[in-house]
Amino acid sequence: MIHILYIEDDKEIGHWVTTDLTERGYKITWLPSGENMESYLASVDLAILDVMLPGLDGFSLGKRLKKSAPDTPIIMLSARTAVEDRLEGLRFADDYVTKPFHPDELAARIEVLLRRFQWKDEVLEIKHLQIYPKDMRIINKNKEEEILLTGKQYHLFQYFIRHLNQILTKEQLYEGVWGESYIEGDKTLMVHIRYLREKIEENPSAPTVIETIRGIGYRVKQ
Amino acid sequence: MRNFFRSLLAKYMLLIVIAIFLVQIATITIALFVYGFAENVENRYLKKGIDTETIEESWHEEASHLEQVSEEGIQQHFAEWKEDFPEATMFWVDGAGILREQIGDNHDIPTEWTAREAASFIKSRYDGDPFTVIALMDEADGFIVFEIPRDALQLPMQSVYDHYGEILIIGLLLIVLLFIIVSFLFFHRIRKRLLHLQEAMEIRDVDGLPLAIPVKKKDEIGQLEQTFNQMVAELRKSKQREQEEERLRKELIANLSHDLRTPLTKLRAQSYSISKMDGNEELNKASQQLDVSINDMDRLIENLMSYTLLTASKYQLKREKIDMVRYVREHLATWYSVFEREGFEINIDMQSLNSSYWMVDPVWISRIMDNLLQNILRHANEGKYVEVKTKATETYDAFLFIDKGSGIDKQSEYSGAGIGLSIVDMMVKGLNLDWEIRSSNKGTTVKIINYHKK
Repeated sequence: MIHILYIEDDKEIGHWVTTDLTERGYKITWLPSGENMESYLASVDLAILDVMLPGLDGFSLGKRLKKSAPDTPIIMLSARTAVEDRLEGLRFADDYVTKPFHPDELAARIEVLLRRFQWKDEVLEIKHLQIYPKDMRIINKNKEEEILLTGKQYHLFQYFIRHLNQILTKEQLYEGVWGESYIEGDKTLMVHIRYLREKIEENPSAPTVIETIRGIGYRVKQ
Repeated sequence: MRNFFRSLLAKYMLLIVIAIFLVQIATITIALFVYGFAENVENRYLKKGIDTETIEESWHEEASHLEQVSEEGIQQHFAEWKEDFPEATMFWVDGAGILREQIGDNHDIPTEWTAREAASFIKSRYDGDPFTVIALMDEADGFIVFEIPRDALQLPMQSVYDHYGEILIIGLLLIVLLFIIVSFLFFHRIRKRLLHLQEAMEIRDVDGLPLAIPVKKKDEIGQLEQTFNQMVAELRKSKQREQEEERLRKELIANLSHDLRTPLTKLRAQSYSISKMDGNEELNKASQQLDVSINDMDRLIENLMSYTLLTASKYQLKREKIDMVRYVREHLATWYSVFEREGFEINIDMQSLNSSYWMVDPVWISRIMDNLLQNILRHANEGKYVEVKTKATETYDAFLFIDKGSGIDKQSEYSGAGIGLSIVDMMVKGLNLDWEIRSSNKGTTVKIINYHKK
C-alpha cells in the first residue's frame, strides 16, 4: 500500500483530505506539524506538505525531507499562490498544488508523481494492451501475444508510459528519447512513431493507444 | 569663528588683502630702496668730497702749475693721479699733436692729433661718459687729458634711481602677475575639487544609489560633500524603508489571499462531501453550483492579487529568450484535457514565426494564456470551440486565441472577465507586446502581437 505523509495544521482540511485519500486506497499519516516527521520518513512513498505551518514552515520541511530522502516525491499543497512562492516551492518540490483544490486533481497529481518515481511496480491496462512497466513487457490481450519493440521504439513507448495521460510535444518527445534538441522539420520522430504504431495498434491507420493531438503532439491515455 | 577661518571665503579674503598690501608694500619698498637705501650706499670719492667739479678744478690747477713739462714730469704727474683714481685713464698730447704719454687702457686714442681729431674728440666726450677733463698747457706743451668712467663718481644705485619709474611699473606688474597666478591656482584647485565632486556624485552603487564621498577638508566644498553624504544616507534609508514596505505589502497580499483561500478550501470540502451523498439530485446540483462559485472565487482572489501587484509594479518580471511557438504549444498541452473534458472542439494550428524567440517572462506568458483560456472556458463555453493559431506577417508575429462564444459585451454581466483582461492588458504591455481584441456575438478573437523591431 502506498504510504503518504501529509502535514497540515488545519483540522478540517486535514481530516477531509485524509478521509478522501484513504478512500482512494492510500495509507495516510497526517501530522499537524513537522515535529515528528523524521520517524515516518523511512516508510513514506510520497509527502504532501502545507506551507503555512506552526514551527518550521513547509518550505523548510520540504527541503529537509528532499535532502534526507531525495527519491520521495513531494507535493506542496498551499493557499499561497504568488509566483515567488510557487518558484520557491518548485525549487525542491515535485509539484505545487494550490488551495482550494479539487480532490480529484490532487489524486491525479499524486498518481502522476508516483508513476514518475515508482512507475515500474504496476500493471497498466491501456486499450487492448497490458503493460508491465517493470520489465517493459507489452501483451496484446486480444491476441494474447507479447509485442516486441526495438531499441528506439522501446524507449519511445517507455517515455509515453512515464508521462501517461500527458500530451507531449514533438520537441519534448525527441529531446526526452534522443537526448538532443529537436530541429524543426526533422522526420525521425514521425517515422519511429509510425513503426511503433504498426506494432502496438490494432489498426495503425486509426490509432487509439498513441493519440495524435493535432497542433500539439501525442498522448497515451489510460 | 574657527569654521570661518577654514572657509574658502576667508582664504580668498586673505588673498585679496595680501595682494592689496603687497602692492602698497612693494611701492613703498621700491621707493624706500631707491631713495633711502641708495643714498646710504657709500662711494669712496663722494665720501671724500670729490666730485666732477673738484676733479676738473684740480686737474686744471695742477696742469697750469706743472713745473717740468717733460716725459718724466708728466709721467710722475699721471702716476700721482692714478694712485688717487685707479679707474682713470690719462694721456698727454704735445704741441705738435703727437701722443706722448698715456696711462690706463685707452686704445682708441689717435697717436697723432690734428685739429679735426681734437674737435671730434671734444665733441664725443662733451657731457658724455667717461667724464673727461682737458687741460691746456703752454702752446708748445699741448694738453693733458683726464678720463674717468662716470660710474666711479656716481652712487652705485644711481642708474636704479634714474629708472625708478620703470622699475616701479615692472615691480607692480610682477606683483599683479603673481596675484593672477595665485588666484588662478586658488580657483583652479577649487574647480578641480568641484569637478572631482561632480564625478564622485555620478558614481552609482550596485543598487543604483550614489556612493558616499570621503570628506577631506572642512571648507565649503567639504561641507557640501558632507551634506551630499547625508543625502546619500537618507536616500539609502528611504530605499530600505520602501523595500521593507514593498515586502510587507507583498506579504500582506499573499497572507490575505492565503487567508481567503483557506475557508474556500473548507467550502470545497463541504461541497465535496455533499456531492458524495448518493441519490439526491438537488443536493448534487447544489454542490456543483458551489464548486463553480468556489472556482470563480479562487480565480477572483488570484486576479485581485495579481492586479494589485501589477498596478504597483511589484509583479516579479524576469525576461528570458524563449521559443514562443514551443512554449505556447507546451502550455496548451496542459490545457488540452480541460477543454476536452468540457467537450470543446479544439483547433490548434501553429506555424513557425518570423522571429520565434521572444524576450519575455515565461511565467507572464503562461499567466496571459491562462487568463485568456480561462475566459474562453468560463464565458464562451456555449460556443464549445477554441482555436489557437499563429500569424506571421512582415510587420509582426502574433498568437490568436479564438472562440465562438457570445462575445465580450454579454460577458459584462460577469465582472470576472474584466479583471482577467485588465491583467492581460497590463502584462502584455509590461512585456512590450501588443494586443487586440475583437468581439461580436459570434465570438471573440484575441491577438497577442509582437511587432518586429525596425
